[in-house]
Amino acid sequence: MTLSTRTVQDERPRNEAEETVEAIHQGNVDAVVVQGPEGPQVIMLQGADAPYHVLVERMSDGALTLDGSGSIVYVNSRLCALTAQTTAELVGRNFASLFSGAVPVQSADDSASEAQLIRADGGPLPVSVWMRQMTMGGVVATLVTLTDLSIHRHAEEVASAERFARSILEQATDAIVVLALDGRITHASGVAEQLAGASPVGQLFSDAFPLDAQSARHQGTLARFSRESLDRALATKPFHGVEVKLRKEGLSGRSFLLSAGPLVNDAKAIVGSIVTLIDITERKRAEEQQTMLVAELNHRVKNILAIVQSVAGQTLRTSPSLPAFNKAFSGRIQAVSIAHDILTQTRWIGIGLNELLSTVLAPYGIGEGRLITEGAPVLLEARLVLPLSMVLHELATNASKYGALSAPFGKVAISWRLRDDGRRLELIWLERGGPAVEHRGARGFGTTLIDRVVRFDLDGEASLDFPPEGLRCVLGFALSAETSPEELPGSAVRTD
Amino acid sequence: MTEQDGYNLRLYVAGQTPKSVAAIANLKKLCETHLPGRYTIEVIDLMKDPALAQRDQIVAIPTLIRQLPEPLKRIIGDLSNAEKVLVGLDIAPS
Repeated sequence: MTLSTRTVQDERPRNEAEETVEAIHQGNVDAVVVQGPEGPQVIMLQGADAPYHVLVERMSDGALTLDGSGSIVYVNSRLCALTAQTTAELVGRNFASLFSGAVPVQSADDSASEAQLIRADGGPLPVSVWMRQMTMGGVVATLVTLTDLSIHRHAEEVASAERFARSILEQATDAIVVLALDGRITHASGVAEQLAGASPVGQLFSDAFPLDAQSARHQGTLARFSRESLDRALATKPFHGVEVKLRKEGLSGRSFLLSAGPLVNDAKAIVGSIVTLIDITERKRAEEQQTMLVAELNHRVKNILAIVQSVAGQTLRTSPSLPAFNKAFSGRIQAVSIAHDILTQTRWIGIGLNELLSTVLAPYGIGEGRLITEGAPVLLEARLVLPLSMVLHELATNASKYGALSAPFGKVAISWRLRDDGRRLELIWLERGGPAVEHRGARGFGTTLIDRVVRFDLDGEASLDFPPEGLRCVLGFALSAETSPEELPGSAVRTD
Repeated sequence: MTEQDGYNLRLYVAGQTPKSVAAIANLKKLCETHLPGRYTIEVIDLMKDPALAQRDQIVAIPTLIRQLPEPLKRIIGDLSNAEKVLVGLDIAPS
């Protein structure tokens, strides 16, 4: 079909026809009237490229065409957005003026190159530029697309941040979950997965980690919420260190500290929360143990003070002079001190009888052959250590002052045997080679103390004989406590 | 308005093509600015009746015809270049 020019009257000025052709040529018209077989017809001047024009205008990349001299002849709306300039500002400009730094050129392998696009309203924008030169109807033109790399970079940064956050969650030693605003779990740490038994992602918090209502009720903060409202509360309200227990198999004895804090996005809007469950079972156990130890220490200090008070009082009553008191009191306190050293070193478990004798009687020459021991190995409970140490101290002091150990060749034989199927111990202290014994009749504090300590603190009996050849003392007491010391009547010393 | 000082304009369009729509809008705006109260516009849609093209020997669309004041003048295009239109229609800028 060709344009009909027969309708153009001959008398019409020539420039009108020229104007018409020029207007069509310049694209100022979008339809023409032609003379068809049935009269005039309107023909639209839309070519096959019209759909592609729409696509180019709608695409998310910037696009432009250059003429043979490198001037911009077309830009799509996306490029206007990327450069923050209008079509009118861009068309006619030189391509190179769009960029700061190196101007991209067409690559031999059809690949894209990076460049910095100048934005009218700010700094350069990183773009990936693809170019191809084409000849269309004898006209050379270059097609160019520009892809905004800042979006890709942002996506990479987001992906990197996501990986970073995930690695934190995976490595965290506490149970950490991220809740969406509806209380559903969107992320969970490895420990949280172990606690839940499986991946809790997608579940409501209260389903994955059911709180023990009993324990929660004691915690006023959580008691206000029903199970349903708890999910939403945890996702929207901050909680700090609420102690809870979980109603889950295998976790009944464990305590957790529940905390929740808001999760905000870049726009500072709250989009959920981060909830942590810290297992404080061991910490609580340690705290309880510490409390118990402090109470125990307090108890023992009071006992020691009571013993010191008792020993001081009794030593004072039986001492003829201050120097005598000083010597006797120091010796007895020394015996208490040694006994305590033994208890501390053995962590209050107890000690072998042989070892106790070696320690307590070391100042009296047990290693020099003057004190001889004989008996099967016997383990003494901790409660026996202090009273037995004091008794042995009294016996050794007496021996060194008046008995076998006061003479150059005197000796003490200490022997023991088990009685009542090993439940009781009989210990014999026998002195030989000392000065002839004169029974002094009245009991000194030494013998009084021995008698009282053995009876009340060792739950046994003591017999002291004073034949002329030397003292013979027999101690009998139970190795295992059958009654607790608190139930005993008045005591000389206590070791409980 | 008398026939001597009034502008009688006839615009030929083809349905809702982009340039037809633009031409109608541009012409109305231009007349309101420069010929307030002194013009009439007749829009002729050749899509509805192509035969009407013969009356003014229309070849390209859109085309504006100035019927009055004489002589008859024609301007082809979407009339976006206001200056060119004013010159073409012999309208002194107001």
